[in-house]
Amino acid sequence: MASRQELSDFLAGVERRAFKQAQYAVRDSDAALDIVQDAMMKLAEKYGDRPAGELPLLFTRILQNATYDFFRRQKVRSTWVTLFSALSPGHEDDNVDPLETLEAAPGSPAAESAENQVERSQIVAIIEQEVARLPTRQREAFLMRYWEDMDVAETAAVMGCSQGSVKTHCSRATHALAKALKARGIQL
Amino acid sequence: MNEKEFGYQIRQALNEAAGELDHKTTYRLEQARAAALTRHREPAAAPAWSPALQAAGRHSSEGSRLGWFGGLGLAAPAVALVVGFIAIYQWQQPQAPERISDLAAMDFAVLMDETPIRAYADKGFGILLRGETEDL
Repeated sequence: MASRQELSDFLAGVERRAFKQAQYAVRDSDAALDIVQDAMMKLAEKYGDRPAGELPLLFTRILQNATYDFFRRQKVRSTWVTLFSALSPGHEDDNVDPLETLEAAPGSPAAESAENQVERSQIVAIIEQEVARLPTRQREAFLMRYWEDMDVAETAAVMGCSQGSVKTHCSRATHALAKALKARGIQL
Repeated sequence: MNEKEFGYQIRQALNEAAGELDHKTTYRLEQARAAALTRHREPAAAPAWSPALQAAGRHSSEGSRLGWFGGLGLAAPAVALVVGFIAIYQWQQPQAPERISDLAAMDFAVLMDETPIRAYADKGFGILLRGETEDL
């Protein structure tokens, strides 16, 4: 069973990455912070009795679910807004799944830092933008594999898909990211 | 560049970005962590049923007190069981010789009787016996 100190150390080690991942997904810093806080609380409250070694996988799964919950709530909210705004003329129907539109929308928080004069910061910001533009499943698989250092089996377990699907997502993400960065003049 | 090398290049960039979070964000993350930790339940010092033996080696007064109560909880049902057995034994003890002697007397009377055993199974013998008793 993880002690309070172990849990605290674990959360301190993952909170920044968790925030960034949530931010790439929802494109909103405040919402991302709320998601991370929800995930932390759920982990501490419901899975605090698990061994410290199990925390990374559990937290990744909880964070993923918290992000999906955010999109579900957003969808419900947008449905109600659509219903109420249907009376006013000139409004287009925006009842769409946010997960389907993530690829097209540009990442605004990172764009601000891309305006910096420091070249490295610009490159980092562009990379963040392009990571955020990846389709959800591809981004999740790519970040779990290469940022969270999870192996294919662990990633598959968290994503609830086959190991083959994880490899496919990662491969597509890599190609899409490389192509997008090259188009923006960045060669890694 | 293969997928793995590319992935690690991206990882470096993302780590850099995560390391440059503004103060407001890091402060809120710290607060979130602190709030989460308040919901964490520390593991119990020891399960209630086990310290009867474990607590013997403990030095803290709390541990030995817990062990004492734990031991009491474990011993009480055993004591109740033993007391129950003794009570049943004591209750049966005075009745046992009487019952044994009654059975022995009955068996002895049947064996000493000259009437063959088969006669007891005969319906007519039963009627005869009842008739004799009525005549008396």
